[in-house]
Amino acid sequence: MKYKIFATATILLLVNLSSVYSQEKGQPKSKIQIHDPWIRPAAEGSNTALFFVVENKSDKPDTIYAAESTLSEVVEVHEMFKKGDMMGMHEVEFVAVPAHSKVEFKPRDIHVMLIKTKKDIKLGEEGEAVLLFKNAGAIKVKATVRDMPKMNGMKH
Amino acid sequence: MKKLIFILSLIVVVYSCGEKFDTIEDLSEEKYNLIDQNNASVNFPQIVRGKIAVVGYIFTNCPDICPLTTNNMRLIQERLKEEKVKDVEFVSISFDPLVDKPEVLRKFAEIRNLNLGNWTFLTGEKNVIDSLMKKAQIFAIPGDSTLFPNGEKIIYYIHTDRIQIMDVDGKIRKNYPGSTINVNEIVEDIKSLVD
Repeated sequence: MKYKIFATATILLLVNLSSVYSQEKGQPKSKIQIHDPWIRPAAEGSNTALFFVVENKSDKPDTIYAAESTLSEVVEVHEMFKKGDMMGMHEVEFVAVPAHSKVEFKPRDIHVMLIKTKKDIKLGEEGEAVLLFKNAGAIKVKATVRDMPKMNGMKH
Repeated sequence: MKKLIFILSLIVVVYSCGEKFDTIEDLSEEKYNLIDQNNASVNFPQIVRGKIAVVGYIFTNCPDICPLTTNNMRLIQERLKEEKVKDVEFVSISFDPLVDKPEVLRKFAEIRNLNLGNWTFLTGEKNVIDSLMKKAQIFAIPGDSTLFPNGEKIIYYIHTDRIQIMDVDGKIRKNYPGSTINVNEIVEDIKSLVD
């Protein structure tokens, strides 16, 4: 009986450790999936933005409340807004990701802003960032550096 | 009677063309002393006089709208080259001249691999830039900011999202939303003005 209790406890502990590991690593065990992450190019000392699609495959809602990256001195989550023919932006404290849904971080909308880049972020390179979720924990993303896709005559 | 119909039709056609490209603002007599990305003094709009100009307004600390506007100008430049439309110049003017020094503008263009063969980035004295922005009907109001421990402050502007076309005489003829411009539309408009 003691052996059974010990074995069960060990299994539960391993499962729990595995869960923490997968949250830290993000993929592939997490039910939060990050698709098509990309960053705009930026010269050292300037600002840029990280875009991606976050998919929540779990039954529970989640929230992105912060992001981190060694690419820039400051990382914030921002949202664009429109006033007539003028555009502006402001920081947001969190972005909700409802259960079984996708939320797109995209141009002219929400984005992770990399403020005061520590080096040149060049076209074709890759850059890393970590997204912090309330439930899923830290999820690392590796984003390619590119401009907007060529969409002649298309409104994006 | 036929002659009258023909004349009336001609008037309608001429009037329609005029409507499409009304003068929004006349800069033909203006002389703004500015500095390009190579630190050379230039006079705007004289540097583009005699050519159609595609003019965009940016600040380089902008992470989204201004890169979109710049990328759209690149797409327009590529389309015009493909269609062999000549005598078109591109100008990006910063409305944040205290930050956007020539070197900053040069790096902004270089990191994007822009073709500067017919594209100039401009900055200048704040009072000159302010005067030009007022004339071109471009508004930029300081919005949110990021303050660093060393006291440095980055200001994010709430600004007009715009690309304009200027005719060979220096008259602004049409406004477009810079970040969402329809590339086909402006290319056709430029071709109409060239013809």
